[in-house]
Amino acid sequence: MNRALRRISLACLVMFVLLLINANYVQAFEANSLANKPGNARTFSQQFQYQRGAIVTADNKTIAESRAVKGIYKYQRYYPYGPVYAPVTGFNSIYSATGIEQAENRQLSGSDPALAVHNLLDMISGKPKRGATVQLTINSAAQQAAYDGLKATGLQGGVVALNPQTGAVLAMASYPSFDPNQLATFNGAELNKVDKQLLADPNQPLTNKAINATFPPGSTFKIVTSSTAFSTGNYTPDTRVYAPTNLKLPQTSNQLINFDNEACNDGSNPTGTGKVPIIFAFTVSCNTVFGNLGMTLGGAALRAQAGKFGMNDPNLTIPLPVSPSNYPPVSAPSFTAYSAIGQYSDTVTPLQEAMFSAAIANGGTLMTPYMVQKITAPDLTPLETASQNTLSNTVTPAVASDVKRMMINVVQSPEGTAHAAAFLPNIEIAGKTGTAQNGANNSGLDDAVFTGFAPANSPNPQIAVGVIVKGGGLGADASAPIAVKVIQAYMASLGKQ
Amino acid sequence: MSAITTPPSQPGKPLRIGSVTAPAQAVPAGPVTMPRGRRRTELTMLIFVVAVVMLAYASVGLGLNGKVPAGMFAYGLSFAVIVGGAHLAVRRLAPWSDPLILPLAALLNGLGIVMIYRLQESGRGGNAGNQISTMTTSTTTLQVMWSALGIAAFVVVLALIRQPRILQRYTYTLGAIGLVLLVIPALLPTSMSSINGAKVWIIVGGLEIQPGEFAKLALAVFFAGYLVSKRDVLALAGRRVLGIDLPRARDLGPVLIAWAASLLVLVFETDIGTSALFFGLFVVMLYIATQRTSWLLIGVMLFTSGAFVASRLFGHVGERFTIWLHPFTSANVFCNPAIQHCASSYQLAEGLYGMGFGGVLGRGLGQGQPYWTPLAQSDFIFTAFGEELGVAGLMALLLIYGLIVQRGLRAAVAVRDPFSKLLAGGLAFVLALQVFVIVGGVTRLIPLTGITTPFLSQGGSSLVASWMMIALLMRISDTARRPAPQPIQDEGMTQVVRAG
Repeated sequence: MNRALRRISLACLVMFVLLLINANYVQAFEANSLANKPGNARTFSQQFQYQRGAIVTADNKTIAESRAVKGIYKYQRYYPYGPVYAPVTGFNSIYSATGIEQAENRQLSGSDPALAVHNLLDMISGKPKRGATVQLTINSAAQQAAYDGLKATGLQGGVVALNPQTGAVLAMASYPSFDPNQLATFNGAELNKVDKQLLADPNQPLTNKAINATFPPGSTFKIVTSSTAFSTGNYTPDTRVYAPTNLKLPQTSNQLINFDNEACNDGSNPTGTGKVPIIFAFTVSCNTVFGNLGMTLGGAALRAQAGKFGMNDPNLTIPLPVSPSNYPPVSAPSFTAYSAIGQYSDTVTPLQEAMFSAAIANGGTLMTPYMVQKITAPDLTPLETASQNTLSNTVTPAVASDVKRMMINVVQSPEGTAHAAAFLPNIEIAGKTGTAQNGANNSGLDDAVFTGFAPANSPNPQIAVGVIVKGGGLGADASAPIAVKVIQAYMASLGKQ
Repeated sequence: MSAITTPPSQPGKPLRIGSVTAPAQAVPAGPVTMPRGRRRTELTMLIFVVAVVMLAYASVGLGLNGKVPAGMFAYGLSFAVIVGGAHLAVRRLAPWSDPLILPLAALLNGLGIVMIYRLQESGRGGNAGNQISTMTTSTTTLQVMWSALGIAAFVVVLALIRQPRILQRYTYTLGAIGLVLLVIPALLPTSMSSINGAKVWIIVGGLEIQPGEFAKLALAVFFAGYLVSKRDVLALAGRRVLGIDLPRARDLGPVLIAWAASLLVLVFETDIGTSALFFGLFVVMLYIATQRTSWLLIGVMLFTSGAFVASRLFGHVGERFTIWLHPFTSANVFCNPAIQHCASSYQLAEGLYGMGFGGVLGRGLGQGQPYWTPLAQSDFIFTAFGEELGVAGLMALLLIYGLIVQRGLRAAVAVRDPFSKLLAGGLAFVLALQVFVIVGGVTRLIPLTGITTPFLSQGGSSLVASWMMIALLMRISDTARRPAPQPIQDEGMTQVVRAG
């Protein structure tokens, strides 16, 4: 029987060798492909075993960090300012991520190839893996002022502030916001509850209204209409144009009227049948003048100019994806009249509003907006620094200077729509208000819009702001004060540095 | 005697094989070559075993919450007492037995307890883990108690069975007991026999017994006794086809009965693993007894065809193949057996993810997420080791199993008595086969079937039965290594007749 026993021994040996080979195959060779299988929760949970990189503002305030905790995972995300920076940071839950947490995930989690060498060195020296620190362009003073301003209105809205020379995003606030700390919980049941609540909220706190919600621009679009007009070379701010009280529109019984049905009267046009300078019409925001001007210029020209200001671009990322602001092709002249004053199908994000001003403030050159200033490895070696790029040349410096003059007049002239709200003795602000009708048959509350920049008397304005408050009424009432506070906060913080 | 003078060219004669090992032990050749019991070696290795298990235990605590577990010395001391007791019993009852078998089995048993403790602590006291553990806080204590009971059974078997041949007297009694144990779960109502879909239990008053574990031992004894008495008939060759001696048709009876029995287990207890184990045990013992390769071929053919037909006829067998081939497709991972008739590959996929996560060196005890794999403490304990100790740890565990199997087969080769030879060969092989089926199943080498991982899995029946099997192997190795009685008279008066 021993011969048979020896053969059985061989068979046993073969079985064990097969098991050994297979175990090696699974754990050494297949391990990588197993780790990348979509259902592998271990891989996803890994990020909470390491210290994820922090997100800090331009002035080095930490707005998201990973804190060591006891429990299932070793590190939990913490957002010291909660809802204030929620549209910026987004959240990082055990299921998903948004905002910078998502856009810069590979850097924050340390999985980016640029960090491979650092990770290897850390592994050799026995240090735990850590993510890179992401520094944003956000200025904490401007951000806080923007959020507080929106919160004071209690209405839905968004604020974006840009540095006109670089395109750096100085503030990006959205209201109502949410507390990302609630979504950073490791308790799956609690997370589901919070998530359901946020999704069911009619005010959509999870939507970043600064870049992912669009509103009609209202009269702020007159910046685009004016730019189009001046770019033809046929107009200057002082050109006198037809200023009716009621503008009869072709092929329709509708008439375009001014706010409160008033005449557009600078003293020389009491009957509402004569002409006024464009700068006057801009300062007091006459709809009929720009409606008529728009029809003269044509929808195609307006659309081209709007495109240069960054509208109709579905691919903009800062690096958060930005919803496109739209100026769709216009079919009839009557619609062109409406679209020339920011009604009809025009929609913009608060970011787009800031971009209008930024382009004008920067002599017509629109810089690509960006939020990530610098990425630093855990050992403080810089990995990436933002570069400034031109998005488009919207208008010539001469035209920009003309539009700037008109925007300054809106604030500085006592009859300007923003004079009461935005005139400051120490900082010269330039801007344009907008009061956008919306809803079916314009039944909804007007959206308050404001775009502006400061200091307007400087050749290099430091900040451009776009504010939209949904249902806020007059742009001068609801939005301009927020923009002023953001500008004041930012200028004050510059003074401190 | 003609048997002694038979030329060695005649195979299959037990006397000749038995006598190969006889001279070394039969002839006393001075004090130097005296065979020794090597109990001190065993003791030294047992001390290492206790040390390794204690260190693993400490490592779990440090990995989980940075502290040495509070109960470490209580558990360590009880484990040391248990294996110490086994060692003392072996000194007294089987002093000549193989010194490796007990420490190897004890090491597996101890590491199993450590891993069960680790899984039990998941999610408790601030440790990482599932919120709701399927294991109660007394699971580890229970496992230690079962280990003590297993060692007690080990001692009892050694004490009662002083000669392996005693068992031969109870061939048919044990055969009947084995068969009854095997079929009881199939006959009992589901509430008294089914846990997690496997109908292999007897549940009485909260006590869960897996009779199949004991049936395995009883049937191994029965097969050995039966085959020793019938092997001459079974070894008779019929026709020769393609160079293989086929047995006579009328001798196919026993193998067909064993085949039918294993198929019945497969169908009624939904347990392809146990069925493969029993049929494999029978076929291999038949082969060892007769040395006819034809039996092996017939057995393999019968089993594969039976399994193939069963996979077509019975959904639950076919599902095993499906999830083996496609464990990662979401249709298989997320199918819910409670809602539709299907087998979920979630467990298999999680186990593989865990192994991949562990990689070469593992996450370290207490630092992985083995608790994400359902039933990590029983069927999938091997992947839990893979996750936390890496492939390095798995290879060590496999080598420990391999060594136990090798020592068992070594005893089978060494022992003279054909019944003991057959029994030891069968037991060693069935251990190897069981490890192959469960480890191969959870590592996706072969389709997964839920059977216990010997010594490691949580569960009393398996542990007690495994220790009884170790006792039988040690008894047989003790018999094989025991020196022949010294001649009382002076040399020269009588000579021990040397065989062969």
